Amino acid sequence: MTFRMDRRQFLMGTSALMAAGAAGISPSWAQAANMRLIFWGGQSRADRTYGVTDLFEAATGNKIDGEFLAWNDYWPKLATQTAGGNAPDIIQMDYRYIVEYAKRNAIAPLDEFVGGALKLDGFDQDQLEGGKVDGKLYGISLGANSVATLINTAAFQEAGVEPPTNAWTYEELMTKGEAFAKANIRNGMKMMSDGSYTEPMLDNWLRQKGMALYTADGKLGFGADEMVEWFNLWKTMRDAGVIVAPDNQALDTGPLETTMLVSGKSALMPSNSNQLVGFQALVPDKLDMVGYPRLAAGVGGGHYRKPSMFFSVAGSSANKEKAAEFLTFFISNSDAAKILGVERGIPCLPATRDVVAPTLDEANQIALNFVANLGDLLGPLPPPPPAAAGEIDISLLRTIGQEVSFGARTPEDAGPYFVSEATAILERAS
Amino acid sequence: MTARSLDTGAPTGERAAAPSPWKRIWQQDAPGYLFLLPWFIGFFGLTLGPMISSLYLSFNHFDLLTPPRWAGVDNYVRMFTNDPKFAASMRVTMFFVVFSVPLKLAFALGVALLLNRGMKGLTLYRSLFYLPSLLGASVAIAILWRQIFAADGLVNKFLSIFGIIGPSWISNPNYSLWTLIVLSIWQFGSPMIIFLAGLRQIPQDMYEAASLDGASKWRQFWKITLPLLTPVVFFNAIIQTIEAFKSFTPAFIISGGTGNPINSTLFYTLYLYQEAFGFFRMGYASALAWVLLALVALFTAFSFLTSKYWVHYDD
Amino acid sequence: MTDAPMKLTVVGAETPVWRKRLTSVVSHGLLIGASILMLYPLLWMLAASFRPENEIFTSASIIPTSWSLDAYFRGWHGLRTSFSVFFTNSFIVSIFSVIGNVFACSLAAFAFARLEFRGRRMWFALMLMTLMLPYQVTLIPQYVLFRQLGWVDTFLPLIVPKFLAADAFFIFLMVRFFRGIPRELDEAAMMDGAGPWRIYWKIMLPLSTPVLATAAIFTFIWTWDDFFGPLIYLNKMSDYTVMLGLRTFTDSTGMSDYGGLFAMSVLSIVPIFLFFLIFQRLLIEGIATTGMKR
Repeated sequence: MTFRMDRRQFLMGTSALMAAGAAGISPSWAQAANMRLIFWGGQSRADRTYGVTDLFEAATGNKIDGEFLAWNDYWPKLATQTAGGNAPDIIQMDYRYIVEYAKRNAIAPLDEFVGGALKLDGFDQDQLEGGKVDGKLYGISLGANSVATLINTAAFQEAGVEPPTNAWTYEELMTKGEAFAKANIRNGMKMMSDGSYTEPMLDNWLRQKGMALYTADGKLGFGADEMVEWFNLWKTMRDAGVIVAPDNQALDTGPLETTMLVSGKSALMPSNSNQLVGFQALVPDKLDMVGYPRLAAGVGGGHYRKPSMFFSVAGSSANKEKAAEFLTFFISNSDAAKILGVERGIPCLPATRDVVAPTLDEANQIALNFVANLGDLLGPLPPPPPAAAGEIDISLLRTIGQEVSFGARTPEDAGPYFVSEATAILERAS
Repeated sequence: MTARSLDTGAPTGERAAAPSPWKRIWQQDAPGYLFLLPWFIGFFGLTLGPMISSLYLSFNHFDLLTPPRWAGVDNYVRMFTNDPKFAASMRVTMFFVVFSVPLKLAFALGVALLLNRGMKGLTLYRSLFYLPSLLGASVAIAILWRQIFAADGLVNKFLSIFGIIGPSWISNPNYSLWTLIVLSIWQFGSPMIIFLAGLRQIPQDMYEAASLDGASKWRQFWKITLPLLTPVVFFNAIIQTIEAFKSFTPAFIISGGTGNPINSTLFYTLYLYQEAFGFFRMGYASALAWVLLALVALFTAFSFLTSKYWVHYDD
Repeated sequence: MTDAPMKLTVVGAETPVWRKRLTSVVSHGLLIGASILMLYPLLWMLAASFRPENEIFTSASIIPTSWSLDAYFRGWHGLRTSFSVFFTNSFIVSIFSVIGNVFACSLAAFAFARLEFRGRRMWFALMLMTLMLPYQVTLIPQYVLFRQLGWVDTFLPLIVPKFLAADAFFIFLMVRFFRGIPRELDEAAMMDGAGPWRIYWKIMLPLSTPVLATAAIFTFIWTWDDFFGPLIYLNKMSDYTVMLGLRTFTDSTGMSDYGGLFAMSVLSIVPIFLFFLIFQRLLIEGIATTGMKR
């Protein structure tokens, strides 16, 4: 412990060479029950969130200062604040980062508050599990969603192709796609975006094969053969003009306006159920959604209900119990529920769902129905991904996927390369 | 090139008379350090500390959230032996520096020369040419650049007039880096201003004399303008090169922080940023920063050493 | 306007009038063509700010089918805090940064350019080194320091470094230009018994208007455009600067108001453009017309 202190003091000390005198004045950060909340999102999410913090203040007298940022700006800021010992009390967390923050005690386990300040009776079991790291509860799911294929229904009508249903398969993707390409609508629109380096799509495909991206002990859950098969599957579709060409696909850098669906280059796009609303606002045609394609007719189990995001409590927070109270309020208060709607996903408490359901507009209704009626598409919740999963997705899968799509690597070469590099990254991170 | 001391004009006798060390401190050293006082406070308080800190961290594993763990030279060894992304980002940055800096400087100098002819509307033109630089790293740039360099963008619409079907420049790994080079050239405002200020320093009577001797404009440029401008060219070249090595925001904004397609726009600092804030390896990122610092310092030292062969100072 | 180029053409008397005209037309033509090419992206953005939202990414023509100021009103009040607050904050931070930078950097530059003291070369080299370190790695230690000082959530971390000449670029720039000022001027003043401060204040500064104006312009624009500093140090939206406000518009995970984004982007350039317009007049009076000609 003393050793740790020394290192931290060194870090602070060197930067405070001239400020040593002033360092004695320590500002009072933890005033009674004045809490800080940080989340990513846009103004509409902020309006809803602030509506709830206002309600909470009126009900309990505890003030919460909210701050929101765009996704790209959120993570460096949160990391800086955490490293500087100045993390907000309540932190919106993503599935990709929760293990990272939990392992480093940057967010606190909440088990001691369950049943007390944190009331979770009736909370969906799979959503509760999703917030656990090493058996301890680190995040409260704010809503469930599922991967989904978004459909531009007008484009299908124009092409004279029947849009897919929840029963569709990869084979149908191929045959429909060829028909779609032949129709040549809207300046060469393709039927589907390139999903070969979309991590959830690969995950879904592997799960249908009875495998997984990662095993419970954080190893790679598949081999080079699967990866070769996967890349070949997409190469065939690419060569047949079923999916978008590589240099168009590479325009997609994350923001919604850069996606193939919004720019009108594809009629189908792998995405998430809660994003339909956002996409619909940018696409003039009516959107719908179905599941990801099946391996073969009748094969299911690829999908699962995933926590769309969490609220966590900072490990450094002086108001952990008050923060837990706020989480309870946020997920269960019926006035709060009406304000929040399904903007963060389908609420995880049945009572809250009942309050929300009648208030929804059409796009939200579609999303709710889809997640509620996954049927045999639904499989078990996968174990939480290892800490290096994000790196494998961002710096390996996308890069190699693009190399294959641009023809810089063959699938036969890319498969083994991916597996060896991913294994190295996992080893380095553990 | 060293500046001459203030007292070179003083009578030599005075210097010989009083060589007391205290007097020297009081008369020569004290004013210098007094004028530098604000900078010293900033340097020791704000810069040196963080620099030492980052040097120390470069020999550690530091994940931002827990205290650093000593790693010896691990980070540096990994960088040079087992990190293809380090090599890739180094290549991208080198390419960017080598092409963007000379092109940007040539463009800025060319426009500055055109503008320096005392023509009507000078201020208007100068302001218009500076406009793109005002946008800085605005989020709108990502969207604008896509409008120009995507498959159905402006460039290809223009090319299609001649029957050429262009690729999607911005997302094709063969060309994507060039769209960032074009962006860098597009924002040529600051070197242009510095060139303009430099051109103003050139005494007009030199041109008058040259004209009387019948020297052509072209000859005047090579014999008068360029030699007298070399200190400014040198300054701009140093600054722009350092900036190009450190360049971050264009790639960050246009590729959405990914450096894609296929790492073709993975600037060195973008990779550093990913390592630090994306994958929580601040120790490794610090090591990356120090390698960059060493590289740029070497380059700068080399430039200063060779500058005496081509930079002309008039004093 | 200086009269110097006029003289040039008078001296070169053999140049016929028609050729002069032609040169002028050609260079104006070149400049106008280049301006249009360069400004196209900005014109597109301007047009986008007046368009109906669903036309922004689909319309091929640069001229909107219908014009509306809607996006400006929407954008101005699009966030919980109105843009008037962001603009005020940006002004405060930028103005103080300009004052700090011009003053502190010119002091340091004067020392490096004109004063002889031991260790000068070493400090100069160290100063140059600070130009080269990427800010991403000093960010965390600096944050820790400013938090210790209790400055997080204030403008101080953005302004105080400017008063401590932390921008080595400007010191370097000023050193270059100070060296261009004839030494005879300060030597003469020395003979009259002037000390370093008087030489700095009475001779160097007045003769350096162009470089001081350059520094002022760049500082204002770069501070205005900076988003990483404000992102890290400002938490309350009522403290946000314009650039931070703009970024908050575009979250990639939710809905974005692109019309509002473009409208506010257009407005965000206006103050820096005006600042540039006003201060660039000072750039025109070259050192050539004040110092070196005498």
